[in-house]
Parts: sequence; structure tokens; C-alpha cells
Amino acid sequence: MQIISSEQNLSAVKVAVEETNKRFEEAGITAESCQHRSGRKYSFVHINCPPNHWVSLAKWLRFEQGVDYLSMITGIHFPLEFEFFSGQPGYNPGTPEKGWEVIVHLTRKGIKNPKVGEQTIINPTKLTGMDIPLEYQISLVLPQTDEPIIPSVQSIWDGADWNEKETWDLLGIEFEGHKNMMRVLNPHDSPPGFHPLQKQHKIRYHNHNEMYDDAQGFMRKPLDSDKKK
Amino acid sequence: MAEMWITMGPQHPMTHGLWTLRVKVDGETVVDTVPELGYIHRGVEKICEARNFTQITPYCDRLCYASAMTWAQSYIYAAEDMLGAEVPERAEYIRLIAVEMQRIASHLMWLGAYCPDVGNLTVFVWCLRDRELFLDLLQELGGSRMHYNFPRVGGVKRDLPIGFAVRARAKIEMFLKRLHEYEMLLDESTIFLVRTQGVGACKAEDMINAGVTGPNVRAAGVNYDVRWAHPYSVYDQVDGVASVEKASSNEGSDCYDRYRVRMTEMIESCNMIISALDSIPGGDETHYNKKDEMIYIKPPIRAPAGQNGFHHFEDSRGESTFYLAGGGGKKGRGEFPYRMSIRSPMFITIPYVAKTMIGYKVADIPAIMGSFDPCIGETDR
Amino acid sequence: MADDAKYDWLNVNKAIDSSATDLHSIAFNSIDVNAGTSLCTAEGTVKANTIFFDTIPNCTGDVFEIFTTSVVTFTMCVIIFTIIMLSQFITVIWTERKLIARFMDRRGATTSMRSLWVGENGVTAGEWWTLLPFGLGAPAGWIVNTLNRVAGNKSDKATVNRVNNRSWHGVWYLFPGFFQGLGDGMKFLTKEHMVPSKADKLIYELAPFLIISSTVMILGFLPFGSGIYAADPEMSVLFAFAIFGIAPLGVFFAGWSSNNKYSLLGGIRSAAQLTAYEIPLLITILSVCVLSGSLNIIEIIDFQYGSGVWNFFLIPLGSLLFLVTMIAEVERIPFDMPEAEAELVEGWWTEYGGMRWGLLFASEYLRCYAACILMAHFFFGGYHAPFANFIGDLGVFGDAYLAIPGIVWVLLKAWFFFAIFVWVRAAFPRIRTDQILELGWKYLLPLSLINLAFAFILRLYVFDGNTWGPGSGMIIPAVITIVSLILFVVLSVDEDPDWEGQRMSHTRTMTPAGTHTIGED
Repeated sequence: MQIISSEQNLSAVKVAVEETNKRFEEAGITAESCQHRSGRKYSFVHINCPPNHWVSLAKWLRFEQGVDYLSMITGIHFPLEFEFFSGQPGYNPGTPEKGWEVIVHLTRKGIKNPKVGEQTIINPTKLTGMDIPLEYQISLVLPQTDEPIIPSVQSIWDGADWNEKETWDLLGIEFEGHKNMMRVLNPHDSPPGFHPLQKQHKIRYHNHNEMYDDAQGFMRKPLDSDKKK
Repeated sequence: MAEMWITMGPQHPMTHGLWTLRVKVDGETVVDTVPELGYIHRGVEKICEARNFTQITPYCDRLCYASAMTWAQSYIYAAEDMLGAEVPERAEYIRLIAVEMQRIASHLMWLGAYCPDVGNLTVFVWCLRDRELFLDLLQELGGSRMHYNFPRVGGVKRDLPIGFAVRARAKIEMFLKRLHEYEMLLDESTIFLVRTQGVGACKAEDMINAGVTGPNVRAAGVNYDVRWAHPYSVYDQVDGVASVEKASSNEGSDCYDRYRVRMTEMIESCNMIISALDSIPGGDETHYNKKDEMIYIKPPIRAPAGQNGFHHFEDSRGESTFYLAGGGGKKGRGEFPYRMSIRSPMFITIPYVAKTMIGYKVADIPAIMGSFDPCIGETDR
Repeated sequence: MADDAKYDWLNVNKAIDSSATDLHSIAFNSIDVNAGTSLCTAEGTVKANTIFFDTIPNCTGDVFEIFTTSVVTFTMCVIIFTIIMLSQFITVIWTERKLIARFMDRRGATTSMRSLWVGENGVTAGEWWTLLPFGLGAPAGWIVNTLNRVAGNKSDKATVNRVNNRSWHGVWYLFPGFFQGLGDGMKFLTKEHMVPSKADKLIYELAPFLIISSTVMILGFLPFGSGIYAADPEMSVLFAFAIFGIAPLGVFFAGWSSNNKYSLLGGIRSAAQLTAYEIPLLITILSVCVLSGSLNIIEIIDFQYGSGVWNFFLIPLGSLLFLVTMIAEVERIPFDMPEAEAELVEGWWTEYGGMRWGLLFASEYLRCYAACILMAHFFFGGYHAPFANFIGDLGVFGDAYLAIPGIVWVLLKAWFFFAIFVWVRAAFPRIRTDQILELGWKYLLPLSLINLAFAFILRLYVFDGNTWGPGSGMIIPAVITIVSLILFVVLSVDEDPDWEGQRMSHTRTMTPAGTHTIGED
């Protein structure tokens, strides 16, 4: 099949990065062109955005750049100290400025409703300008806090609805302005404040040896076994 | 009769998997729906924070068990993005063949589950019988019929077995004839048409806004496909197009369109497989050993610190995305992803479909829900 | 017409006359539900109105009569003995039901039955050699298998049977699949009877009783041969369909009393559907009765024989309507919305377990069967052989042909229609309830009225007291049949192009790239 060529992709990325930087320079939103490191090594647009400007960026992207598809909202928790394996010395994934990160993946698909009774056959090699599909990755960084809040884009993309529910359910990141927030993957009667993907909840088994050979953890030492009491 | 809430599920013949759909009905008309997911939430994302990149592949097989190869593949591309791995071209061809066969098997499973929903039980057995053809081929490649653990970061586990190409061509030829029979049975059956046409109208822009992709959107008249939009693998070198179907009414595409799209997709996948077998580098009769340069290049074990990788992939049900973050440091930090995030197309589609069902009859619920091809394994992760 | 004596020796009645009164009086006089009791009449001649044999008018007190009586006596003894044995059998099953249930769960229903008489020596799938005594089974089996393998004869039926832990189902000479029903029945007998706690207990228990008893009652006066019936009221058609109509009441009872939303939905759908389809059904039957001039099933059958033409060739539209409405009445696919598995689990049957469910399931198939037999009786001449007059005149061959008992014809015809029922079930999806109701009220009802009018016209103006139309009465039915066939073919073939034209039809794959691209216009 015919595919989007790398020139098309590069040109679209360049244009998008320029426009974003031009529009949002003062707000502290920076866009840059990143490249995938494998396969065809196509480029995508990576935007760093302070959370308070997220909604305006989202609106601009949706209505003026034609980014019509929200793929995924990912939340990541960076605690200041994180003991990775119980008993092993911890390391510091997070800094005071970076405690939580929300990564939003969007794509511009350029799909319009075809006329009734017709179909739209897109020839990828003939796409130009704003019709070229493009990948966006937007990173919203929050400082260390116990109550991470990000404004919700539920009204801008319908697909954000359940993505935000899932992020809150698993990570505890609140979405301001989100209607009807509910638990979607965890049971409905989970205790409030229980968000399993936060790093203080340890994984039960770290490797297969633990899982198969010592399922009930008799061989594990308690966490403070090497401390002098 | 007053409005009442009916709970369909979690154990229900209609549900393709384990989930609940609470439906508020007024007589026979659906007035409101609330889907409830999460019954088989296994915490894959959390588990994979303690597995290295090779160990994650079997977990991804088990995400959507009906379409395991595509999910493992989707993860592998994201992992390769993160690690910066090189993949030989023959391996890409083998991956393409495996993925397209899995797509056919997944669509056959869909048809085999959809027709009993609509009422026709014969097609169920027929589709499973034909799925056996492809499951046998995939078993030759991957070793088992359902969870293959076949792709590797940097290539594939093993090469095409001897005689695979011959068997694949023969089976595809047989399959295409049988597919034509099934099309005849269903397309010429007034009852099937009456059940699926005019039911479940969805427009393309609404679907994209809501996050629905894949065959569901192609049924609305737009041939968008991740395989050409964000290209990966060697799709530009095989013959095959993304099949598309005209939306049939002002309100959008209906169940019949989605059914036709998947039937034509199966034919297109067959074309892709045959053309890939024709043009695979090294020929389809040769068999390279494991870890040979032609099919596998050893990747780096860990990525630099702060690296992340993601990949959009065309799964049988839509666009699936994996995002991996992490990198750097010694064992436990660099070898394991700090965060693995999975985007499942069905997780977003099921609430959308639940909204679409409002206004139709109770008897249309399985017809509409089945036409979107839900698979709960990937929904709940 | 064939001579009386040559005609169906299974006929109780000596005179075959299409006039109503004779048949009636003879039928009334000779019927006796208790077979074998009244072997003698006042005159001393043996009038054996038993189930199987009849006295041929001219023979008195000869070998044939002795043969007849002895066979009858033997049959009665067998029946009584079987009843006694079965009652013991059923009692034992009930007493030991838990043991049997455990046994069946482990081995499967039919395998467990099979293992009652074959020792399980590690062979799960029963091949014929395991029955050999003196331990010859295993070596014989080894020889058979080796020879097969050498000859390259691989049948995967044995593998499938082994995988499914099945027994002799696939063996053609041992009643393939015959014991499945028996095994299922035993399984149902041993399962628990559950009544949901909030269910309306009286109605819940009453519903299956209503359904199954009404169904079995119908079979009582369906004639299986000319004289093989249990009851023959004067207006048996009315009676039959009154009883057919009790079952919807039972269905609604079941749906309502189960205290389950699914059952309620199923019951409501069923009530609506059955009501909607009873009306075209009754109008179609009315047209048959108009055509045949009687409301008695036996008279309808004999009228078809007497006039020389089966009703199917006179009102083919009516036959088709009857078939379709009967499929809807017995709630088979494509009309099985009330028990649609995909949405409603089992619909109005959901809460029933054990033998109650077994009886409901059996009643569905009994009603199917009754519907098929009625179709054979109303439209296809019942127990008369096809082309009886024509072939019957062919000398010895004709004698042999006419000697085939009527019950064989009834069963053959009924099984043919049942095969159509099963075929339709396998091929079609379900129609949605509102579409079913639309079909019933908007299409079938007017069609049945048209059919009724047509039947009136035929009877009043075409029937000349003896045959349908001038001459031998074959022309008009032939014309009607051919015209109907042509219409059918035309209507069924013509549908697709129109349909495709109205609908935005699909394309197989896309048109070549570049036809309509974004950005250019």
C-alpha cells in the first residue's frame, strides 16, 4: 500500500513545531521535533506544556490545527524516593519540580465525514499541508504534591472521557472540570485514595522466582531487617 | 410499562468477554446505558514495571487473547523505539505475515461470535473451522495456538518453517472460496440484512472525536489506516489496501457496513500475505536458524536515562498504542520500564457504543455491540 | 378410483366415501381407545379395531384372524411389561438421583448410560469390539486399528468421539444419535427443581403443566393413519387450535411468575408474537376448511383423496402461510425472539431447571412435530399415498404401493416438513420482535385474507361437487401451481437488484487510488 513518505512527515512536523512555538512562546509552551528511534524513524511533535495552559493549547490544537483524535492519557508518578526492590537501596526518580507527569498522545487524522453515499479514498502520497497525519506527544509536568490536579479536556475531545477516568482511577491525578468521574478498572467500592499505580504500592512479585518459588513470601526479609533498632 | 434497569452480564451469552452493560429500557426501547468494565483487570501495567523487555512480550499476548500476535507486535515496536533497536528486513516481512494472519483469525472469531448474536448459529461453527486453518499456521510459527510469544525486540524468535509458504498459500486459497460462501449466506439473507441495516448509526467524525478507529471508522467511508498514516514495517512493499465501506445513511454507518468492512479486510489481508511471501528477502523456502542475522539483531538491553518510546499500531480492532518510559542505570532501573501504558481501542469504543445504542431496541443491543468487535481482555488489561 | 378392497388395509373403515356422514358414523362406532379389548362384536365376527391390523371384509375365522389376535395380545403384553419395568426404572432413578448425577457429570450423560452395559476398561469411545466377550475386545481392536493404519484409513470421527468422551453416536448401524434424547431425559430427571424465592409459586408451577399438557393433548386427535387416532370430535380443527392457543397463556405465566426481568421480557415478546401469528394461522386454516367443506381433520384428509387433488396445489399461498405462521407459533428460529439466547439467556425459560425445563423443551419440539403433521394433513393429503389413483391402477406394483400403511406416509411427510424447519433454523438469523410483529400484522394478515377469498372462490365456483373444475379436475390446480411457482421464483430472484439499488451498496475494495482525494476537488 502507499504510505506517507518521510518527506511529507518531516515537512508536517516542521510546520507544526514552528506554528506552535510562534503561538505559545510567551506561555512557556515549547514544541520540538523528536524522532522515533527505530523502524522508519519518522518524526513527531513533542510539546512541553505547563498544566495551567493545557486547555488553551488543547483548544488551539483541536480547532485550529485539526488535531481531532486523542489517543491516550498516561499518568506517571515520580516520588522523591523510591525503593525499587524491597530491601534494595532506593533511587530518586523524581525531583521537587517533577512529581507527576501526564503524557497525552494525540494524532491529527484529517478525517471528515464523507458525503452520503460516497466514500473518501485518501491517497497518502497526495496529502499536503494540514492533511498529513501527525503524531503529537504532550508532556504536562506537575511538581511534588499529594493532590495532583490537571484541567480536563473532556469537553474538547470525547475520547478524553474514559482516558481521564482511567488515569484518575489508577494514579490519583484529579481532572478539574471532569463530569462524572468514576472508577473504571478498579472495583466500584475501592477505598477512596487507593490508586494502585502510585509507586508506594509495591508489586507483589518482582520476578518469576518470587512468584513461583516463594509465593507467600516466606523467604523475604522484612523491609527494616537491616536497620539497627 | 415503567422504565426498568436490566443488567446484561457479567455472565451473559451476548457479552464477548466479561463485562456488564446496565440498560434502562422502556418497553423494548433502550433509554440509557451504563457499561461496567474492570472484571478482568489484571494490573498488567503495574506488573510490567518489574519485567524486562523480553519478559513483557507474553503479557502483551494475553492482553487481547483473540488477537495476540498484533498486541505483542504493538508492544515490540514501542520497545524498539525506546531501545533504539534495529530490525532486519526479513524479520519485518515475517512479522507482517504473522500479524495479517492473526488479523484474519481475529475477524473470523468476530464473525463466529457475531452471527449467533444475530441468530444464525451455523456460521459460528464454520468460522471456527476456518480459523483452525490459520491457527495451525500460527502454531507453526509461534508454537502455540493462542499466545505465541513470537516477536522479539530486534526481530523474531524463529524463521518461517520449511513448507510454511506452500501450506499458507494452499490454505489461503481454500479460505477465500469458503469466505465467498459465507458472504453469500449472509448477504443474500433478507433476515440478516434486516437485522443489521439501519441499526447502530455512527458518523466518522464523531467516532474519531470519541477515539474509535480501525475497521469501525473505515466502515463510515474513510479509508484511514495507521499502516499508511504512521507507517511501520514493510507495508509499502506489499500489495494491499485498507478496505473501506460507504456509509449507508445520513446518520452514518450501520452494522452491515462494519460487517462488510471486516469481510473485505480478510480478503485484503490474504492478498498481503501472499504478496509478502512472494517478495520476502531470502525467499520463502529458506529457513534461517534462530539468532541468525537475517531474522534477529541483538538489541541493547537498556535505554539511556529519561528515554521514552511509543508506537501507534493498527490492531484488528482499532489503533493500539504503547508508551514506555524509563531507562538508565543498572538492572532494575534500565532494564525494566518505569511506566508502561497501554491504550486499548476497545476501552474507548465500548462507552461510545453504549451511547450509540440509546434509541434502539433491546434486540439490537447484541447486533450493535457485536458489530464493533469487543474483546474484554484488552479493555481491562 | 381404486377399489375399496385394494385400498389401505390399515383402514378401519370399510367404506371409503368422501361424504361426511358415513365416515362419521363408522368412525364413532368403531373407535375404541383401549386397543385390543373389543375384539368381538355381537355378530360374532371378529372386528379387530386394534392399532395395527384390520379385518379384511370377506374373511371370517381364518388364519389371518388368529394371527391378528395373537399379535395384538403379544403387543399388549409387551406394552404392559414395559410400563411396569419403566416405572421401576424411573423410581430407581429418582431414588438414586444424586449418585447418577455425579456419575453423569464425570462421564457425560450418554457415556454413563452406555457404561451400564459395557464394562469400562479404559476405552472411552465405544468401538464395536469392546463388546466382545472373553477379553477378545482389546486384541481385536488392536488388529483393526493396525490394519486401518496400514491401509491409510484414518477417520477422525473416532478421534472426535474420543475427545468428546462420546460413545456410539457415529456408528450408522447402531441407531446413530438415538440414545441422545434418552440420555438427556435422564439427565433432566436427576437435576434439582428450583423455584426462585420471590417467584409466584403457584403460577410458576402451573405454567409448564399447562404447556406440556396442552401439547400432548393435540397429539391425541391427530390421525396417524386412517383409524389411528385417539379421539375424533366433530370439529377437531377448532379443538386442535383452541388447544394450540393455551400454550401462549402458559408462556406468559412462566415469564411473569419467574420474577426475572429477562423472563418477563421474553414472556411479553412471546405473548405479542403468538397473538400476532395466531390470526393469520386461523384464517389460513379457515381457508382449508372452506376448501374441504368440513372442520374435521379426517374429513379434510379424505376430501383431498376424494377430489383427487391435494390442497397444496389449490392454495399454495395458504401452504406457505401455514408454514411460516407455524414456525412463528412454535417459536423456532427465525422467530425465536422470546427465547433469544443472545440477549435473554433463555427468555421465559430462564428460571426453570430440571425436568420442568426438559418438559418445556420437549413441548417445543412436540408442537413442532404437531405442526408438521398438521401441515401434512391439511395440505398434503395426510395419510394418503401420492398419486394413489394413478399408481394404484398399475396392477401388482399398484397393490404393493397401496399396501404401504398410511402411517408411513404421514410420518414421511411430517419428517420432510420437520427437515425444512431444521433447515430454516440452521440457515437464518433471528428477526427482531418489532420486525416479527410488523411481518405478522402488515404482511401475513392481508395475505391470509386474500388466501381466504381465493379459497371461497374456488369452492363456490370451481368445485362442481366432485372434482375441481371440468374434466378430471387436474387442470385448474395445475394452472394454479404453475402460476404460483412462477410468482415465487420471480419474487425471490427480483429482490436483490432492487435492494442493492436503494441501498448505498458496498464496493469490494476501493476504487483505484486517486479518484477522490482530499485537497483536490
